[in-house]
Amino acid sequence: MNALDAQGQAGLVMGALWDPMLLMATVTFVVVVGVLLWAIFRRRGGNEAPDDPTRDRSLGRVVGVGVLLTTLVLLVCLGLDISVGRAITATPGKDAVQIRVTGHQWWWEVHYRDLVPQRWVTTANEIHVPVGRPVVIELRSTDVIHSFWPPELTGKRDLIPGKTNSLWLQADRPGEYRGQCAEFCGHQHAKMAFLVVAEPADSFAHWLETQRDTALTPSDSLTRRGQEVFLASSCPMCHAISGTPAGSRVGPDLTHLASRRTIAAGTLRNTRGNLAGWIIDPQSIKPGAKMPPNELSPADLEALLAYLETLR
Amino acid sequence: MKTDELEPGRLPATVDELVPQLEATWHQEPTFLGWLRSVDHKSIATRYIATAFVFFLLAGLEAAAMRAQLSRPENRILGPDAYNQFFTMHGTTMMFLFAVPIMQAVGLYLVPLMIGARNVAFPKLNAYGYWVYLFGGVFLYVMFFLNTGPDAGWFAYVPLSGPAFSPGKRVDVWAQAITFTEIAALVASVELIVTTFKNRAPGMTLNRMPLFVWAMLVQSFMVLFAMPWVATASQFLAMDRLVGTHFFNPVEGGDALLWQHLFWFFGHPEVYIIFIPALGMVSAIVTTFTGRQVLGYSAMVLSMIATGVLGFGLWVHHMFATGLPQMGESFFTASSLMIAIPSGIQIFCWLATIWAGRPRLTVPFLFVAGFVVLFIIGGFTGVMIASVPFDQVVHDTYFIVAHFHYVLIGGAVFPLFGAFYYWFPKITGRQLSERLGRWNFWLFFLGMNVTFFPMHLLGFEGMPRRVYTYLPETGWGDLNLLASAGATMIAFSVLLFLVNVVRALRSGIPAGNDPWGGDTLEWAASSPPRPYNFPIIPVVDGQGPLWRHPVELPGVAGLRTDVREVLVTTLLDAEPDSRHRHPPPTIWPLLAAIGTTILFVTLIFTPWGVVIGMPLLFLAFLGWAWPRGRDHREQVAIEQEVRPAEARP
Amino acid sequence: MTGMRIVGNVTHLPTTTFGHRTSMWWGTLGYVVIEGSTLLICAVAYVYFRKNFQTWPPERVFRPGLTAAAVQAAIMLLSNWPMVLVDRAARRLDLRAVQRGMVLITVLSIAMCVLRGFEFQALNVRWDSNAYGSAAWAVLTTHAILLLLQTVETIVFTLLLFSPNLEQRDLSAASDNALYWYFMTGSWIPLAAVVFLMPYLV
Repeated sequence: MNALDAQGQAGLVMGALWDPMLLMATVTFVVVVGVLLWAIFRRRGGNEAPDDPTRDRSLGRVVGVGVLLTTLVLLVCLGLDISVGRAITATPGKDAVQIRVTGHQWWWEVHYRDLVPQRWVTTANEIHVPVGRPVVIELRSTDVIHSFWPPELTGKRDLIPGKTNSLWLQADRPGEYRGQCAEFCGHQHAKMAFLVVAEPADSFAHWLETQRDTALTPSDSLTRRGQEVFLASSCPMCHAISGTPAGSRVGPDLTHLASRRTIAAGTLRNTRGNLAGWIIDPQSIKPGAKMPPNELSPADLEALLAYLETLR
Repeated sequence: MKTDELEPGRLPATVDELVPQLEATWHQEPTFLGWLRSVDHKSIATRYIATAFVFFLLAGLEAAAMRAQLSRPENRILGPDAYNQFFTMHGTTMMFLFAVPIMQAVGLYLVPLMIGARNVAFPKLNAYGYWVYLFGGVFLYVMFFLNTGPDAGWFAYVPLSGPAFSPGKRVDVWAQAITFTEIAALVASVELIVTTFKNRAPGMTLNRMPLFVWAMLVQSFMVLFAMPWVATASQFLAMDRLVGTHFFNPVEGGDALLWQHLFWFFGHPEVYIIFIPALGMVSAIVTTFTGRQVLGYSAMVLSMIATGVLGFGLWVHHMFATGLPQMGESFFTASSLMIAIPSGIQIFCWLATIWAGRPRLTVPFLFVAGFVVLFIIGGFTGVMIASVPFDQVVHDTYFIVAHFHYVLIGGAVFPLFGAFYYWFPKITGRQLSERLGRWNFWLFFLGMNVTFFPMHLLGFEGMPRRVYTYLPETGWGDLNLLASAGATMIAFSVLLFLVNVVRALRSGIPAGNDPWGGDTLEWAASSPPRPYNFPIIPVVDGQGPLWRHPVELPGVAGLRTDVREVLVTTLLDAEPDSRHRHPPPTIWPLLAAIGTTILFVTLIFTPWGVVIGMPLLFLAFLGWAWPRGRDHREQVAIEQEVRPAEARP
Repeated sequence: MTGMRIVGNVTHLPTTTFGHRTSMWWGTLGYVVIEGSTLLICAVAYVYFRKNFQTWPPERVFRPGLTAAAVQAAIMLLSNWPMVLVDRAARRLDLRAVQRGMVLITVLSIAMCVLRGFEFQALNVRWDSNAYGSAAWAVLTTHAILLLLQTVETIVFTLLLFSPNLEQRDLSAASDNALYWYFMTGSWIPLAAVVFLMPYLV
């Protein structure tokens, strides 16, 4: 997740602003430090008075030139800043994908908006986008201020309770782009990450369709038992799985948990072992997180994991 | 003012005849009780400096713990709860308990001496300000050690810091600690302004004031206008938490962004409040160690004033990621860029001064050179983040951490260390070791770069601020380890400084009154100065009075020596205007500070704190202000001039 | 210690001066700036919240009553006249006139405190009902603290005027008191306009 490798708007910012500013800064630094060292170490004549009014006047003129140059450079910076600013906030076209991200302590609720309400998609912590198409992301928060930032794709924007912000981004290359919450939001601010997965248009469309499906009904006894364990534990108090009675929005939606690459807001790879550890004792991985530990017998855990693996 | 216009009246022939009575009248009791009752600006400023330095060390230890935790991914030295308290304490301590107080304290020590005055304008208030500062800082740290330290950041953004998401008393402790430090800062700023306006030596017109005095004056005005914003905001937050107001509750019409506007309207000037005195220190050091006045006095003064004024017009650049209208944001880009111009003017003037003069590479001068290098790096990143699109990339990342440490350490702490080395002989009468000082400087300079330069890269690599740990796959481990190694270097350099100070105090070479060949009035006083500073009030006829009169300074006598009397002069031209009586040592400022502490601490727990605290404060005010020990001469004057009104039919 | 030589004499300078010639006056002015900023911030918060509500005052909140505020404003404005007279009397060193004037000012101060209580009631909203209430109470409370401190100082100064410990230079406190008084009354007028009139205008 390196902004120096950025593409899209972030790439424009880095290329059109960072590069010239870095050059300007380096040159000026070398000049100023050079002058400082020369001023300290230059050879002085024996009867060269420290404060000679004539020489002071010419020095004053040199200072004036320096100030003028500084002002010119700053004006150039101002011009660059405003024009790049305009370029990246220009609203994208009508074919943009519309997403709503809602910040929670310490995970990201993701909705794909649609004109038809039943076609809305709900997921968490992982955003898929089609390559080469703009994506508009509406940003809200239910609790405290968070900030959404995938460094390789775009600058950041805050999620502020009581306010709706938005930004847009466009991925030009397929890939997995990681981001982390960039506004201190409490205990697990450090482990509130997300993934933006950019893929070709057709695989994006396929992904979106599968995300719209309700969860598969468990087909064998183990996964059926797993679903029972899920519904009988405290899980449904926070987690929803469409097609089951579990409908709470307090925590991430699990309907397509198995399709996600990471769990616990980007903290762990989505493997069976990690998932087991997370379910049994989330506090050891993210102390302060709102998910309580869960005591499950090994058989129950086995069944639950099998069930969760069907939620693709 | 021509000195031959004044006729010497019934005055002693020599200054020495005044000394015995002055020593008796201005005598500082050497006991502990006497120390508690002191109203001498030098005694108060010295304890301010020492206390602030202790807080600097504490904040440094907090930083060391943070750097240890971050040196490896998924480290287990500090968990999230502890880490959040540590970074909050580090920021709060550095900004409120170290940086502003120490700059003001150096001013409180030097400004009266530099302007030829005997004390600050309100000696009792000065003492009160120190005690409130001390008690506030102690209170904060006691709560920290009781695991009730604030943990929502030094900036305490709502709603995280509000009642819903920060239960308990931690944030209330923060809000009240702000109140203590804000009172102390405002007291010090009023002292500095009024002293500079009304107690300057005869003939010290505004354009003959040393640049350091100008710096403290500009800074004090900034404190006056900026501090109330954070004080009021923190009271709004305290009330949201304690009595159910809704200033920051969006559900009832309050506003999370209002907090940010209020806080940063203070917060941006705050950094210039820390920085501008350092500019004054640099000017003083450059003058002495190049052997000439800084080139372009008027430009220097106007630059400092411009920086001070412009500093109030930048605050929204801390909010570029909050989704404010673009047009408004562009205005703040422009102002944030513009403020580089006066800073540039000053740097160019110093460079020209060094070029024209004869530089002496003493330790203070080294710190000034280091300041130039480090500050411009920080200044350049500042110019970069003035841009909205660029800031939206690096905001709240380690790039910003790098930026502000370069400008704060480079721009303020380096000149401060230079000032320590420069004025230590004056304050203590001993010289610090130049050799140890050089080691101190180089270790600090290198350590600072090793710690903070890599953070620019970490910011680009996506590392946000205020994270207690990070995953190994982010790849941030190596640069973090490097930064932590640099932090160790900084720690060692500070240790060297402490060793230098302790050795000098024990067995350092005694310093005369002017070891460096300075040009300003403090170098005329003894080292350390007598409690009354000068036996007669110096008369000034140009910049750099000590270079103009190296052998013997002219001065005016006639102030009473049987009571503590100081000279009040006119604002613009510093013509002698009246004589003002100053109080002898008294315990009431300390008692008033205790009353203040009781009031603010109880208010954290109950609004009835007002009922408990206010009467105590009232009693302390009475003890402080009610006149005692009548002066016979003044009494008679009343009989003759005022009472005759009674005799009229 | 660098040598010093005497070139002039200040024994003839007075020890009692008034107004901007004294340090205390400037200290009072500093306090005025600090308190003025605080009052301004409260008013800013009040105006800022307007954008978060459909109506002003918010729904189900009555507009504030105007009687108490009107009487208070009138008394505050008129009270400046006796204060000016006290200031002038002090500069003349006319102790009797200063004593008389300060007794009147003390009575007026106490009356203002009582009126302030009625003004709080007239707001018709609690501080914890909504942001509108919080901000209105903030303005009134901050100014009330000013008023309270002024009342206490007025009472203490008046008592000092009748004390045998009084010195000539203490009379210059009358001109500092006057400065503070003008600020206290003067700042109230725009603040009252914001808190009591704005709900009728927007």
